[in-house]
This record gives sequence, C-alpha cells and structure tokens, in this order.
Amino acid sequence: MSQPVTPRRTTRSSAGSASDPASSTPQSKSRPKSTLRRQLIPAAAAAAKEEEEEEEGENDQSTVNVLLEALPGRRAQALDLLRLLAPAPALPLLLYGGAATGKTRALLLALRHIHPRPHRVAYAALRSLPSPRALFASLLSQLSPPSSSSASSRQRVPDKPSDFVAALRDALASLCTQGDAVYLVFDNLEVVRSWDKGTQLIALILRLHDLLRLPQVVLVYVSSATPDAYYSMTGSIEPNHIYFPDYTVDEVRDILMRGHPNPKLYSSFLSVALKPLFRVTRRVDELGAALEPLFRRYCEPLGDSKVVPDESIKRRLFEHIQSHLAVALNETFSVPTRASVDQCNDTGGKASTKRQFGNRDSLTELEFHMSVSAKYLLLSAFLASRNPATLDAALFDSTGGSDNHKRKRKSSQASMNMKDTMVEEMLMKGPGTFPLERLLAIFQCITSVSEDSLDDVESSANMMNGSGMTGLMSDVLLQLSTLCNSNFISKSRSCPLEGSARYRSNIDEDLALKVSTL
Amino acid sequence: MAAASVASQAQAVLRARLCDPGFVHSALRSSPDTNYSKLKYLVASSISEACNNSVLLLGPRGCGKAAVVDMVLEDLKKEHPDAISVIRLNGMLHSDDNCATKEIARQLCLEHQLSFSKMASSDDNTEFIIDMLRECGLAHKTILFILEEFDLFAQGKQRLLYSLLDAMQSLTSQAVVIGLSCRLDADQLLEKRVRSRFSHRKLLFVPSSLDDIKRLVEHLLIMAKDSSLPAKYITDYNSRLTNIFSDKKFKGILNSLMDADATTSNILRFLFRTVSYMDMESGFLSMESFLNALSAMQRQPKMDSLQDLSILELYILVCMHRLEDKEQSSYNFTSIMKEYRSIQDAYKTSDKYASTVCFRAFEHLLDRELISFGDIRGRNQALEYRPVKLLISSRELAQSLKLNTTCPAVLQKLFDRERYM
Repeated sequence: MSQPVTPRRTTRSSAGSASDPASSTPQSKSRPKSTLRRQLIPAAAAAAKEEEEEEEGENDQSTVNVLLEALPGRRAQALDLLRLLAPAPALPLLLYGGAATGKTRALLLALRHIHPRPHRVAYAALRSLPSPRALFASLLSQLSPPSSSSASSRQRVPDKPSDFVAALRDALASLCTQGDAVYLVFDNLEVVRSWDKGTQLIALILRLHDLLRLPQVVLVYVSSATPDAYYSMTGSIEPNHIYFPDYTVDEVRDILMRGHPNPKLYSSFLSVALKPLFRVTRRVDELGAALEPLFRRYCEPLGDSKVVPDESIKRRLFEHIQSHLAVALNETFSVPTRASVDQCNDTGGKASTKRQFGNRDSLTELEFHMSVSAKYLLLSAFLASRNPATLDAALFDSTGGSDNHKRKRKSSQASMNMKDTMVEEMLMKGPGTFPLERLLAIFQCITSVSEDSLDDVESSANMMNGSGMTGLMSDVLLQLSTLCNSNFISKSRSCPLEGSARYRSNIDEDLALKVSTL
Repeated sequence: MAAASVASQAQAVLRARLCDPGFVHSALRSSPDTNYSKLKYLVASSISEACNNSVLLLGPRGCGKAAVVDMVLEDLKKEHPDAISVIRLNGMLHSDDNCATKEIARQLCLEHQLSFSKMASSDDNTEFIIDMLRECGLAHKTILFILEEFDLFAQGKQRLLYSLLDAMQSLTSQAVVIGLSCRLDADQLLEKRVRSRFSHRKLLFVPSSLDDIKRLVEHLLIMAKDSSLPAKYITDYNSRLTNIFSDKKFKGILNSLMDADATTSNILRFLFRTVSYMDMESGFLSMESFLNALSAMQRQPKMDSLQDLSILELYILVCMHRLEDKEQSSYNFTSIMKEYRSIQDAYKTSDKYASTVCFRAFEHLLDRELISFGDIRGRNQALEYRPVKLLISSRELAQSLKLNTTCPAVLQKLFDRERYM
C-alpha cells in the first residue's frame, strides 16, 4: 500500500492522491475543494474493499503509518487527529497554527484514514466565500443528496441564521439516519471576524454543536488565529484544541527533499542555503519559492543535473552560490526581467552573471522604464510630500536656492532639538498631502533649473518631450494620472475648504534616489 | 486483536457517554434539593394547577442549565404525555421578532400536525399564536416556552417577551416561560412593563465543587457490570481506575483544572481527551493519559507562537520593545527600521536585511497577532506609517528569548541591556 511518487509542486487540491507535502502555496487555496471531497468517497470505497480482505489489527497500524509517512514532522498532531476524530460522537475540534503549517492538509488526509469511514464530509472554504449567504449555500449544497441537486437549486438559499440552522438540521437528519458520521469542516475561521456581522456568525458557527444536538455530526474548525481570538464576552463552549507548530529546520529539509530527482546534490545545496534563509522566514512556501531560483544558479557550473557531487565539486558550487545567496537574502521575491533572462541564455555564463550581479549589488538602476517627464513629476511629488509648504519659498526661489548659504547661522541647541523632533514627526506621520497647484509649481521650478544645466548627452532623451518647458508640461496631467494608477502617487481626501483634490506620494527614499539617476 | 476490539468498544461506550448530556447529568436525578428538582416541582405544579409561571435559569456557560431543562422535560413527558407541548427558541437565531413569531408558529404547527405556510405575515403568525394559546388553555394543555440565550431577547424593544408574558396574563392561557441565560443580571435587562409581568423566580447554577466533580468523574468513567463488555475486563478496568482516583497526582490534576475553569463542560472536554488517549492495546486508562490530556489542554498560545518565530522577526520584536522602553508613545514601521539600523550599525551582526524583507517579517507578525495596529483604519495611510503596538508582555518576550535555542546571544544582550542602560 505504498503511495506513488509524484512530482514536487503539487497543490492541495491534488493532495488526496499525492503524498507530497511540498509547497502548498496560498494561491491554491481557492481551488475547488469539491474535487477533493469527491475523490474521498471513491477512494474510501476502494480502500474499504481492500481492508475487508486483511486482518483488522495489522491494517490499523499500516493506515497510521501511511498517514505519518504523508505528514512529515507532524507525528503528534496526526495521532491526536486520529484519536480525537475517530468514532463519532465526538466533541468539536479546533486546529490552529501559523500559516503554511499543514493544518488543512493534515485534516483532510486524516479524514481519509480514520477507521469508521465518514459518510459525508462537507468542507466550507471560508477564505473564498464572500458572505454568510454564500457559506450557507455552499454547506447546504454539499449536504443535500446528489440526486436532488436540481431541486435544491430551485429552493431559496437561506438568508437568516435561523433558517440556515433549520435547513441544516433537516439536511443532516436525513443523512444521519444510517448511523454513519458526517463531518463539517470550517477552514480559515479567522476571516469570518472581518465579515459584516462577523462576531455573531462566529458565535453561531462555534455553537453549532449545541444548536444541532445531533450526535453523529462532528464539527472541525481550522484557524490560523489562536483560540483566544474567539473568546467573546459571553463565553462560548470551547472545542478541543490541536496545535500545529511551525516546522524546524530539519523538518523543512525533509519536506523539501521529498521526491527530488537528485537527492545528494539537493542536500548539499540545502546544507549551504537553508540555514541562512531560515533566519529570515520559517514558512515553507516562502522558503521553497526562494530556494528554487537559487538551486538553478547552484547547478549552473555543472554540466548535467544528475551528477553526484563529491567534496571538490561541493566546494566549487559553494563558492559560486555564495554571492547569490547574499543577494537572495535581501529580496522578498525576484521577478526575472528580460535582460536577466537573455543573459542567462548567454553561453558566456560566468561573465554575464558577474555583470548582472554587479548591477544588482549597487541597486542604482530602476528595473522598469519611466519617461523623463514622469521622473520629474515623481520627484516633485516626493519633494512636495516630504517638505512642508512653508519651505517652498526657501528651496525653490528663482536663483535655484543658491543663495541659502548667506543666511546660515550657527544652530543653537534648541533649534537642533526642534529639528530632531521634526525628523521624528516626519517618520511617524509619513508623507503629507499637497494640492495639484503646488505640485505643478515645483515641477515647473525643477524642470526650469534642470534645463539650464542640460548637456547634449541628454538631448536625445529630451527630444521626445519636445523642446523647452512647454514640451514637458504638455502631458503632465496625463503622466499624473498614470502615476496615480501605478500607485506611486495616491489621491487622498479633497480639502474641505477649497474642494480641490490633494495627492500624496507613496515612494520612499531609495526609489527616489533610483529615479533621480537619469 | 480481541483486546483491541474490546478496547475500541470500551472507548466508544465512554465517548458516547461523554457526548450525551442526558447521561452526564443523570446523577442529579437522585440527589435532593438541586436545581433539577426545584425546576421539576415548579413546572409540574403549574401543569397540575393549570396556572401560568415564569422562571429564569442563570449561570455561567457549561454548568448544565440546558441539560437540566432537557431532563425535566423528559420526565414530564413521561408523566403527562399529552398535557404539554414545547416551543424552543434561541436568542442567537430568533432575537428578531418576526423571526421569532414565525418560528413559534412553525413549531406549533409541527406539534399539532397543522400545515405551516412560509408566506404568512408576522401579524398572521401573532394572531395564530394567540389563538393557539387560548385553545390550548381551554383544552388544559400547557405550552412550555424555552428561551435560550434569554439576554439576547432582551435587546432592542423586547416585543416578543412582552407579548408572550402579556398573553400569559389572560385567564384562559396556560403557559410556562423558562429563560436560560449566562448573564447573571439578565432580569435587570428587562423593561419595566416586561419585568412587572415576570415572576421573579431565579434558579442559580454555580460551577461545581471539587467533591461534585470527583463524583461526576467516577459516574462517567466507572463502567457498570451489565454492559456488553467481558466481565473480567470491567473489573480490571474499574480497579485500575479507582487506584488512579486515590492517587495524589490525580487530585493535583483536578485542582489545576478547576483553578482555570470549574464548569462541567471543561471537565467533559478533559475526560473526552483522556478517553481518546486510552492505550489501545490494553484498553485501560492510565495516569499517563490523564496527564497528557491535561498538558494538551493547558497550552499557552502566545508563547507557542513566540517559539515559532524566525530570527528576523525576533529582532523586530526586540526593537519594538526597546522603543517602548524609551517611552516613545507611538511608533510605526519606519521608526522600528531606524532602531533596527542603529542596532546593526552598533553591533555589526550578520542579520542585516533590506527593508522589504523586514517588512515581510513585520507582516508575518501582524498575521500571528503578536503585534497590531494602534489606530482604526480611518485615514488612507500606508502600512509603514500606521502606529503599531506590541500584544505580548515583556515577560513573555524575555521567556521566549530564553527558551529559543537558535536565538543569537546579541539579541538577548540587547533585550537585557535596556534595563541597565
């Protein structure tokens, strides 16, 4: 009864047939869970037939082993799940733990392996349901018998909780007559708190066990918020908790190594790369996403990827990956730009990577292209946001602020303290808002200053903007709306006195520096 | 294998017992002068004397109020099979008056085999209810209204309560209103006109004492001789269990459970877990299963979350703590970054990361609810500039830094140093 080896990047919807736990990415959560549930019943039927032929005691042990195989590092939780879920009736259960710790996967796998097979499992993926009404519809459609699916679609979906509980009780009573258990799973319970009337709905969901009073129905809740997030003022009946801790370094290594075609190479890579990345984040999905491009870099000096490395090769690869590792530690994700992809396809591999590495190290270039007038506009927005309007006269006077040095005085202690508090306030408040006229004034000012000092080298860049100030000003409103759409500048509430729109710049100093190197 | 099946059978029997509220509280039947007997006397006398009555059952959650009501109803149905009809309402679902009247009408129709139309308006329903009350009164049939979550009915205008209690004032009706609530001041929530029609009978449910709990545990776990399991197994099981009960450690377990929460539902959860941890080979409960169940129930979620953090996330928490110690009343992500950079410049550790990576770690801490924003999301501000605050105490942070084996020593030093700076 060994599970087949499957490719590594499996999403949770195919977890029913796969044994690979690697990287259940958050994006896969919105996949239709009904496919998994429908896989459950025929798989359960097939497995049940197998079981009838074997001895009972041996089989129990082997199903437990199969489950533990499929869930690395989760031995205690898997055993707890099997023991607390198994013969109905059971008190409700709450699984909680951080994100990407395998709660839903462990639960769904355990539901396949518990001993009296569940008659029906209804799964409510609360993260992908927009409203309470959708939740009611989803649960009722999963619980109604499949033959009358057309009839139930003609019935109205209940709006109010009272109608829902009544409809749920009817549906469950008709299912439970044979004496088999029905499991209701509520996944991502914490999102209900942010719904409209969410607290009442949470209280309702957590008390369903008392409201329904059906002994064959077992309720299971999965949440990434800790149980103290669900305590309300009037108290509630607490479910049994199972805690899923995050994986340790060794468990993460086991998970990532599973099913890899070249385990020795990959393990030598992980022994170099995993520990530093683990200091930054412990989530398996983020680590997997960061390690994949690094592994491709790691294998670059090798001719083929099937080679088993010895000590000298390992040392060589280590030196190669070292610099890339330092860069990868400072990135959250890397979007491969076209230039980098072209360079990768280059045959002169080492030289091109060194050049690219040099670029990324200095981080002075923008990864995307902006027109010159857009850059000027962005910088003027940055200046307008970061400096109070009272300083405009001093900074932007007609001589370009060149005669400031005349007015320099020795700053006293009090004024230095005031400057410190101003700096702190700046840090706390964030960028300020400015009206459109101020933005245009500053824009005009700095473009006029820059035009005086333009070189011929830049003339080609300026050609497309026309000649002189009027060329740069002509499409400034168009540029402004483009920058607003790309979220570099955001529109805030309009001033209550004048009614004109106010804007705020969203970029930080690093990006402003990058933009300013023309 | 035979032992395995006996063990699983025993486990199934015990679990079924623990999930059945009727069995759990059945010991109350025999003891005198409990709330059960008082309630039964009250309802029985109002049935036999054909009068109206109202009573409130108050007590914390999990003390057995609903179970007592169910037991009383069961007994009365056996004694007076045709004389009562029961209407159950729940404050969570039916606090809206239209909903409530519809539900009452539906249940009345169900009881008396009438057909219920969903399209009936609320006035029609109310008229129907009043008519039914009169009819039942004339036929000497008592209607029992059971209002769970009574305090939720007392929100708003209390129209349902007023109409129910008012209808009971007429001579022809025979009704008993039983309210259950976990708010001990539920009767203070009533309006004046409602309270004047309400008889101020209250039954108070308190969490059990140690002796009651011991008796309850014995009642639930000791198996009787006449069950379907082999007799030798039962005697062995019972003897082992009595040995455990007399052990000092067991008393300690019960005490620590009761210190946190002495209600029946907490004990039931503990026993359920213990029974689930039963050793399946021998089929007996051991002290180990009790101890494991206790430790599983007494986790500290925030400390667990703190153990799950990466080194960078711990750095951010320590920076926030330092800022709080420096008496900065409010700080945001940019000020945390400034502190972080200054620490890195001073100590030159290997953990200096870029701002985007730190922001991702910051968001992870927000997801785990170890920190949170200090303002309500009113202004349209970027996340980096909203004020944040720590949701863990400095003692918890200190303890977690000590327990964390991979924590760099410099972090510990930074945390401690601020005390002596």
